[in-house]
Amino acid sequence: MDKILEIKNLKASVSETEEKILDGLNLTINKGETHAIMGPNGGGKSTLVNVIAGKDSYTVDSGKIGYFNEDLIEMEVDERAKKGIFMAFQYPSEIPGVRPWQFIKASVDAKRKFLGDKELSVREFSKLYDENIKIVGMNEDLMKRSLNEGFSGGEKKRNEVFQMLMLEPQLALLDETDSGLDVDALKSVGDVVNRMRNGDRSFLIVTHYQRLLDHIKPDFVHVLIKGKIVESGGYELVKKIEENGYESFV
Amino acid sequence: MEYVKHYEKNFNDLSKFSDIDSLKQESFNYFFKSGFPIKKKGDERWKYLDLRSLEKTLYTTDYESNLNIDLSTIGLDKTNTISVNNGVPRYEKFDGIIVLSNQSYTPIVNVDEDEFLSLNTSLSSKHLLLKVNSEFNGKVLNIVYYGDSNKEILECPRIYIDIEQNVEITINEIFISSKAVTLKLPVIEMVLNKKSKVLHNLVFQSSFSENNFKFTRIDQKEDSFYKLTSFSNSSLLAANDIKVSLNGKNSECDLKGLYFTTLNSQFNTHVVVEHNVPYTKSNQYFKGILSDNSRAVFSGKIYVERDAQKAYAEQKDLNLVMSKGAEIDTKPGLEIYADDVECYHGATAGHVDESTLYYMMTRGIDKKTATQMLVNGFANEIINEITDEKIRSFAQNQSDEIIPSLSFNL
Repeated sequence: MDKILEIKNLKASVSETEEKILDGLNLTINKGETHAIMGPNGGGKSTLVNVIAGKDSYTVDSGKIGYFNEDLIEMEVDERAKKGIFMAFQYPSEIPGVRPWQFIKASVDAKRKFLGDKELSVREFSKLYDENIKIVGMNEDLMKRSLNEGFSGGEKKRNEVFQMLMLEPQLALLDETDSGLDVDALKSVGDVVNRMRNGDRSFLIVTHYQRLLDHIKPDFVHVLIKGKIVESGGYELVKKIEENGYESFV
Repeated sequence: MEYVKHYEKNFNDLSKFSDIDSLKQESFNYFFKSGFPIKKKGDERWKYLDLRSLEKTLYTTDYESNLNIDLSTIGLDKTNTISVNNGVPRYEKFDGIIVLSNQSYTPIVNVDEDEFLSLNTSLSSKHLLLKVNSEFNGKVLNIVYYGDSNKEILECPRIYIDIEQNVEITINEIFISSKAVTLKLPVIEMVLNKKSKVLHNLVFQSSFSENNFKFTRIDQKEDSFYKLTSFSNSSLLAANDIKVSLNGKNSECDLKGLYFTTLNSQFNTHVVVEHNVPYTKSNQYFKGILSDNSRAVFSGKIYVERDAQKAYAEQKDLNLVMSKGAEIDTKPGLEIYADDVECYHGATAGHVDESTLYYMMTRGIDKKTATQMLVNGFANEIINEITDEKIRSFAQNQSDEIIPSLSFNL
C-alpha cells in the first residue's frame, strides 16, 4: 500500500498557552482511503487536522508527520497545500473585497504553477468553475459577493467543498464540515466526497456525528480522546459510538 | 509668525489682478491674525498633524498662470473639463453651464471657519462661479488640477457650483502630481438644489514636494442626493476636509473614502455632516491603509440640530496598519440635540488578520500574495464605489501599483 500520511507519536500543544493537546498520536493513511476521526470536544480532533495543515498557533513538540515520505512539520502552509493537502474549515474566513472566483483562481493558479502545470486559461477555468458550482449546488448569486461574506453557515461549508472540488487535493481534511448543515446540504457534501473518492485520493474527516458518515461510509474510523487514538476500526465503530457514547472508550 | 508677512505681500500683489472685496479682506485678516493652525490648542482638526514645515517654506501664488497641460497624456479628454493649472481654474464654455456674477454668489465657507480656507478665499485670484442647468443633465464635469513650476507655488483655486433643481451630474476631481514644490488649498463649494443629484469622485495623489489641503463644502436642499467617493495617495502632508449641510427635508449624503499613507506622510480626513432639518440621512464610510512611519487622522462628526427629528446617520472609519511605525488617530464624534434620531458610529485599527491569512495559505496562496489580496480586498470595497468608470480604473491602477510596494513590517 502507498502511504500518503504517516503520523508517529505526535505530541502538539497550543503555542501561546503551551497547553498540551495531542499526546502521542499515531495514524497512517494510505492512498485511496477515507478515515473518520470521532471524539468528544477538546479531544484534539481540530488540532490534529490543523497541525497537518500547518497552523502556526500549534507547536509540534515531538513526533513525526510524513507526507509522501517528506517531513511535513517544517513545511510552510501554502507549500503543503500546493503539494495536495486541502483543509475544509469548520469556520471559514470571510474575506471582504475578494470575490470567490478571484480567490479560487489564485489558488488553482498557485498550485498548478508549483507543480509545473500550465496555467488554465480564463475560459478553461470558468468552465470548470461553473460545472463544479452546479455539482455542489452553490447559489450562484452568492458567489458574486465577497468570499463567505453574508454566507450562512451551510453556504460556507458548501463553498469549502466547492473549493475542494476545484483544487483536487491528494489528501482532504474535513474539519466538522457537517456541523450546521441541514439534511440537503449534508447529503450534497456527502455526495461530493463520494464522487471524489478514488484509488488515489484520501480523506480525513473529523466529525462529532454519525450523520455525515452515513453518507460517506468511511473505510476506517478512529476514536480520539485526550490527544490519543484510543480505538480504531471500520464503519461499525460509528454505530458503537452512537449507541454507547465515548465514555465506553475511556 | 514671520511667514504671515510674506503672505501679506502676496495678498497685496493680488490687487494688480483682481478687486479686493470685503470678503477677501476679512478672510485675509483672519489668516493674518491666526496663521496656519500649527499645534493649535482645542482645534481637533489639525492638532494631531505636524504642520511645522509650513512655517519654513514660503509659497507664492502664480496669479496669472499660463501653464498648459495636455490632458491626453493622462488619459483624459478636454470635453467638459476644467483644468486648474498652478491653482488657476481655466473654464471654456460648456453647454448647460453658465458663469455666475459675483453678486449672485453667497459663499458656503465662513470667513472664520478655518485658516487654510481663509487663505484660499483671500488669495484665489478668481473664484470660478458656475451654474449647472438642465442642459447638462446626465453629463460629467471633470476638474483636473495640475501644477508645475520651479518656484514654491501656493495654489488657491475656488470653484463654486450651483446645481439647478432636478439635475443629475457627475463631478470628477483629479489631482495630477508633479515635482513642483506646492502648497495646494483647493476649495470646491456646491449647492444642490431641490431633487438634484451629484456623484462626486475625487482622486488625490501627491508627490513628496506637494502639500494638499482639499476642502469640500456642500449645501443640500430638499430631496437632493450627494455621493462622494475619494481616493488618496499622498506622500507628504494632505487633508480631505469635507462638510455637508443637509438643509432640506429628505436630503441624503453618502461619503466614502480610501486613504493610503506611506513613508513619512501625514493625511487628515475631517468630515462634518450637519443634519439641520428633519428626515435627513447621511453615511460616512472611510478606510485607511497605513504603512512605514506614516500617520493618518480621522475626525468625523455627526451633528444633529434640535429640530432635525428622524435623522439617520452612520459613520465608520476602518484602518489597516501595516507597519510598527505607522499611526492612526481616529476620532468619531456625535453631537445630537434632537431626540428621535438613529445614529451609529465606530472606528477600528487593526492588522491583517492572521487566521484569514492562514485560511488563504491552506489554498496554496503564499503569505505575501495572500496579504496583498487582503489589502486589495479592503481597498476595493471603496474603489468599487467610484461611480465613473474612467476614474475607477485610474484609482484601481494606482492601488494596484501601491499595494505590492507597501512594506509589511509588524
